[in-house]
Amino acid sequence: MLTFIGRRVVLAIFTVWAISVLAFAIIQLPPGDYVTSYIAQMATMGSVVTDEEAQNLRIQYGLGRPIYVQYYKWVKLIAQGDFGMSMEWRRPVTEVIGERLWLTVVVSVAALILTWALALPIGVYSAVRQYSVGDYLATFVGFIGLAVPNFLLALVLLYLGFVLFNAHIGGLFSPEFNDAPWSWARVWDLLKHLPIPALILGLAGMAQQIRIMRANLLDELRKPYVVTARSKGLPEPRVITKYPVRVALNPFASTIGYTLPYIVSGSIIVSLVLGLPTVGPLLLKALIAQDMFLAGTIVLLLGVMTVIGTLVSDVLLVWIDPRIRLEET
Amino acid sequence: MTEPRWRRPHTRKFRSRLIAALVVGALGAVVAAGALAQGVGKSSLIGKLEGPEVVTDSAKFPKTLKEAPQLAALVKAGKLPPVAERVGQDPLVIKPLHEIGKYGGTWRGGFTGPADFWNGYRCCSGPDHLLFWDYTGDKVTPNIAKGYEMQDGGRTLVLQLRRGMKWSDGKPFTADDFVFWFEDIYRNKDLVPTPAAAMAINGKQGEVQKVDTYTVKFKFPEPYYLLPDVLAGSTQIGGHAQQGLNGMGGYAPAHYLKQFHPKYLGQAELDKKVKEEKFDSWVRMFLFKNDWAKNSDLPVVTPWKTVTPSNTPTWTLERNPYSVFVDPEGNQLPYIDRVVLTLAENLEVINLRAIAGEYDFQQRHLDLGKLPVFIENQAKGAYKVHLDPGDYGGDMIIKFNLSYEADPEIAKWMNTADFRRALAIGIDRDQINETFWLGTGTPSSVVPADSNKYNPGPQYRKMWATLDVKKANEMLDKIGLAKKDAEGYRQRTDGKGRLRIEIMTLGGQFLQFTQIAEMIREQWKKIGIDLVVQEVERSLAIQRTIANEQQLAAWNNDGSEHLFTFPTHVFPFDLIAVVATSGPLYAKWFQSAGTQGKEPPPRLKELMEKFKKAYGVPEKERIALGKEVWKIAAEEVFIIGVIGIGPASMGVRVVKTNMGNIPSRQYNSPDGKTPTISRPVTFFYKK
Repeated sequence: MLTFIGRRVVLAIFTVWAISVLAFAIIQLPPGDYVTSYIAQMATMGSVVTDEEAQNLRIQYGLGRPIYVQYYKWVKLIAQGDFGMSMEWRRPVTEVIGERLWLTVVVSVAALILTWALALPIGVYSAVRQYSVGDYLATFVGFIGLAVPNFLLALVLLYLGFVLFNAHIGGLFSPEFNDAPWSWARVWDLLKHLPIPALILGLAGMAQQIRIMRANLLDELRKPYVVTARSKGLPEPRVITKYPVRVALNPFASTIGYTLPYIVSGSIIVSLVLGLPTVGPLLLKALIAQDMFLAGTIVLLLGVMTVIGTLVSDVLLVWIDPRIRLEET
Repeated sequence: MTEPRWRRPHTRKFRSRLIAALVVGALGAVVAAGALAQGVGKSSLIGKLEGPEVVTDSAKFPKTLKEAPQLAALVKAGKLPPVAERVGQDPLVIKPLHEIGKYGGTWRGGFTGPADFWNGYRCCSGPDHLLFWDYTGDKVTPNIAKGYEMQDGGRTLVLQLRRGMKWSDGKPFTADDFVFWFEDIYRNKDLVPTPAAAMAINGKQGEVQKVDTYTVKFKFPEPYYLLPDVLAGSTQIGGHAQQGLNGMGGYAPAHYLKQFHPKYLGQAELDKKVKEEKFDSWVRMFLFKNDWAKNSDLPVVTPWKTVTPSNTPTWTLERNPYSVFVDPEGNQLPYIDRVVLTLAENLEVINLRAIAGEYDFQQRHLDLGKLPVFIENQAKGAYKVHLDPGDYGGDMIIKFNLSYEADPEIAKWMNTADFRRALAIGIDRDQINETFWLGTGTPSSVVPADSNKYNPGPQYRKMWATLDVKKANEMLDKIGLAKKDAEGYRQRTDGKGRLRIEIMTLGGQFLQFTQIAEMIREQWKKIGIDLVVQEVERSLAIQRTIANEQQLAAWNNDGSEHLFTFPTHVFPFDLIAVVATSGPLYAKWFQSAGTQGKEPPPRLKELMEKFKKAYGVPEKERIALGKEVWKIAAEEVFIIGVIGIGPASMGVRVVKTNMGNIPSRQYNSPDGKTPTISRPVTFFYKK
């Protein structure tokens, strides 16, 4: 087990390095650089950056230097625990990401908890009571959840919220709490804003999980050991929860690899539509502005999260399903 | 999970299209269709141009000064000197539009992040230009400088400063702040590697000198009569708030910035500081410290000063206790205590919040396409919608790339005046105006509004700007494009098939350039021209422009109402400053005084010469030359004007009904930093 984990960790470190190279290269791919984007942005806003100003900016940011020099500079900074200065925000990258990171985690974890809390029982119910009215209802709602893009849902809810309830548009805080220091009132304000984004973010995932749970459990329920357990007179809830549900949980564990980065990146489009101050919109803006250090750090962060997530789900699978251990050794 | 980068163009387009389609579609079309038709016409939305005035007659200055209650409390507590000491002997007196206001309140608005710093300059910088425009945008008036005088045949501009005026930290604002800026910032090769065009005439650099504590002069080797306009405009010497972060501006708080400058601190000491504060270099640190929007410690002379900077979720500004602005009764301005701009992750959120009445005064980022929805929700949101059409001739223009070389046949036609004219009259501007401007724009050539001092005459408004399909066809036949293919498109003369021209557009702008271009594509079918519409990513647009690869490009010419301080969209003036220029090689030629690039054709060269000459001659001559420039531009159609004098670019304004001193129409222009030209220091809450 230890060697298994050790080997995975070494591989993970190598992968992270590869990701850093890729992240940096990808950011350099589109035409232009931060200064070009800056010029374009200024033009969009009705002002003009002169040739001289552009030239000055390039010199200041060291954008004229060869790409490998820029990469080396970046990696050297990271090795010292410094992720550089965001060009657009003119603040250290860690600060810019930091304040959004945990809000992102709050939103995404809320969405995840909602997803799982609803998807597991409904999935079990659908499987056990296959073709019942409840199953059809869950299936129907599930397919709508899968079929409707969540940003559309976000727009509809936003509009209904405004028209019907005169709700505050977008964001995670009411205006008066935006900058307020932390207090119970602010937490309460956050909690009040949380359900809609959590529901929207969770719905598609929920539908998917219901279907997976249902399908897996149905497979299990037909297996001879379940029939045997029933015939021996075991009470029904115990028959279902003891082994079939546990086995059916495998896919949940294996998706953790993707869940972790999802917690950080959230759903970019939904966050944009709802105006959530999370990492998603920040990443999009950084990419548009070609803010190298900021975009690079977020992409790297996502990569690291994926790697860690995969590692965790590998270990978790081994723990949940004893059969996997045999195959691994 | 590293894929978002390459998915971006797709996702962005997808996002913007969908959001635009959905929100406009769902809200606009269904809920409020026809709101415009139901009596709320163009006339009630566009009011009379009006605004406050700067009082320059010192006999009318107030004798005693008053201040906001919270400042009075501070004075009483001994934490602040009395108001008369703070303002000084020569206040900047502004006569409000309607009435003397009341102190108090918070102005709520929205912004889109640290790159949206123009938002703050426009609302809250005062402005802090040495000279500025009156509300008509045509006349230069004193501002931070009390007065100015041209001497020495236009070679020297003497500026009088205000006696006893202070920076926001209470330190005196004097001629030394100008000398410091000029000697230690502007002339420092690290801070400003390339000199500013605004500080030069005919390529020769000028100087800033101290005469006495309250007098400075800008001195040039050759006559520079335009200088007052340059100081008033949004140029590189257009104030500290806007230009400090670039090391420009004309003045800077010497007493504060010296602690970040190697000359005063010593390089070793400075390097230590740079390291402590985690900057890459002293240059970056210095410019950050001089950034009005991001450094809340920076001493300023603007009426409001940044409290929480623009790189946080809320950009907050509070009244500057040392503000030099006062009203005629001696009340220190501004009336409004605080300005709170909240971060919105995207423009749709800003628009929705405006519709919901969550902003008190918002103009920036509001979308003309949503006008019916804005109007529909006026009562519910307790606001009023105003339209502020710009004075420039083109909310949308089409630039020909006159120096195009990649395809000689296309290059030849783009350089044929009658070809350009034929295309210009092949556009049905009324259809476009109704569809995209909801009828609020004006079909127009590129020339600015008739009231503009450089306008060459009313007959130029419609010159080559009225639909005439028959004439366009005749003109095209005559210049040698008579041969058509089976589908009715004109053929190239070199036998390589159909004459196909490309137009480059950008998505996600104030105006839907791509969709309008698609409409023009349909209209040009009738004159046998095959237009290919290409929406490109904006960085790519800039690269293609620099590489001289684009053929036509769609944009607006906002700013061109101030011909000499904002000439970018009038002729090939600069190479990279905007998304497209009407001839990159000619721009290079112009900027390098003929040593690089390509020599332009005679008429364009004539235009450029007239333009250049105008900088160094007195105003009367300059106005005559300006008219000449516009005449040539309109006659030659170097750029096609489509719809102008319209509100598409930041011209939709939503203002709470309880705000006072709000002009019913204001001068909308980047040079006027609208709404600053309406002096937001005089805005107030009636209740």
